[in-house]
Amino acid sequence: MSNYIPTIGVEVHVELKTKTKIFSNSINGYGEMANSLTNVVDLAYPGKAATILNCKIRRIMHFDRKNYFYPDISKNYQITQNATPIGYDGYVEITKSTGEKKKVYIEEMHIEEDTCKSAHRGTKTLLDFNRAGVPLIEIVTKPCMSDGEDVKLYLEKLRELLSFGDISDCKIEEGSMRADVNVSIRKNESDPLGTKAEIKNIGSISNAKLGVEKEIERQTKIYDAGETFKPQTRRFDDKINDTVLMRVKETGNDYRYFPEPDIPYVILTDEMIERAINSIPMLPDERREKYKKLGVSDINTEKLVANRSLSDYFNTLLDEKINHQIASNLLLGDISGYLNKNEKLITDTTLSKERFIELVNLIDNNTLTSKNLKDILDIVLESDKSIQTIIKEQGIENITDDSEIRNIVKEIINNNPESVNDYKQGHDRAIKYLMGQVMKETKGKANPKMAMDILTEELN
Amino acid sequence: MKEMLTKEEVLHVADLARISLTEEEIKKYQVELKKLLDDVEKINNVKGYDDDILIACWENSAELRKDIAGDMLDPKEVVNNAPRHSGNYIEVPVVISEGEGA
Repeated sequence: MSNYIPTIGVEVHVELKTKTKIFSNSINGYGEMANSLTNVVDLAYPGKAATILNCKIRRIMHFDRKNYFYPDISKNYQITQNATPIGYDGYVEITKSTGEKKKVYIEEMHIEEDTCKSAHRGTKTLLDFNRAGVPLIEIVTKPCMSDGEDVKLYLEKLRELLSFGDISDCKIEEGSMRADVNVSIRKNESDPLGTKAEIKNIGSISNAKLGVEKEIERQTKIYDAGETFKPQTRRFDDKINDTVLMRVKETGNDYRYFPEPDIPYVILTDEMIERAINSIPMLPDERREKYKKLGVSDINTEKLVANRSLSDYFNTLLDEKINHQIASNLLLGDISGYLNKNEKLITDTTLSKERFIELVNLIDNNTLTSKNLKDILDIVLESDKSIQTIIKEQGIENITDDSEIRNIVKEIINNNPESVNDYKQGHDRAIKYLMGQVMKETKGKANPKMAMDILTEELN
Repeated sequence: MKEMLTKEEVLHVADLARISLTEEEIKKYQVELKKLLDDVEKINNVKGYDDDILIACWENSAELRKDIAGDMLDPKEVVNNAPRHSGNYIEVPVVISEGEGA
């Protein structure tokens, strides 16, 4: 256990889910041919989130120029918000593995343009301006986190909120969510903050956690040896699972910010803010709470929240008087299997809300067995026919006639005296075997609940 | 008020602009940059400049456009406008301090 107190702050960039770029009308796209999504503004030839993150919203804001020379921005400045960030003083709540709730405070969030993507190849750097001008928000926390778990939970929560809020895709692998983590350590709470190392190029949330842990270890070793280090930028290398030095910051950044004179200030009216707030869909924590109240298991709740389109579909059923646990099992089990196999979303299928409710009720009252369901699922999801019609047409109507099932049960009992004996001696597995024989004899058509009740009755 | 900038101040500006200067040029800019700064300083005397809303010479707020894509350039045209290119990419020399910017 380290003798130092780590202090961590995180800067996250997320690309906004717009069709076009921020200050130009080029397409905001990913994975297209290099330099095919650009226009003269991106190349510089001529020269709802705040609410979700509990931030205060600035009503009058302007943009600033951040001046620096680097090939990733061809006009030599980035348009950003230095003096009047759109949101400030917010927070996100995380729940630690100990159950302790912790607020991660957000200093500010500002809007800016993305830079072009550069790839280093030996002595050359290759530039692709498709990303140049894509709208970003940068969300900066206060230095209020103290370990890798805090960082991981914060990033997970942020990703969940921003993607559910339709603000960003938050695809770390495509670069639409990128995090830089600032780490320093100190001996006592009363000491000033220690020297900071910024970790960049973090490719995944689990690497962010690992990067922070490795960086705390590295800084601890330096201080324990009585040495010091200069503020620096490091990157996480997932091949060696450690951070490596990119550059030492000899002097502080000097970006010479000044107000962007070509863009008038932006006034956010009450109407605009209200419209943004009203367009926020139900957020994950509210979904969790509602699902649990309806009797959905913890596992199913988490699985639903992790799948936005299934969760949205499930939300249309919240007020229906159905067995919600069965409904969630159905969505996450056989239906998910079908959707994954066919690369479809539930909205691409013919499963209307009414037909889904019919399906859930047929399973709930044991009219439909899980085997039956598997047999008809493709048809259910690809045709408009009522579930009852499909069941009839497929000839899989269940045997619900008491005397018919009883006759079969009696026959199975007579033919399997050993299993009956085992059951009477207290071997529970024997009844499962006998039940299996009943289902086999009826080709899976016996209503399972009725069959089990009759079997138990006859055995006793 | 000092007459000229220090050598270190001129070198810092040169470093930000990524240019190298001869001793002669440094001496020249120690005087010339100071004159420029003094001229810019005059803006501070303009009445109303302290108003933090006054960032541009008009009072209208920005018009927001619809999120609809417009015309874009042909990538061939884009790369042909650059001094060097490699396939569809614009090529520049490697700059050591990678990872600046957003």
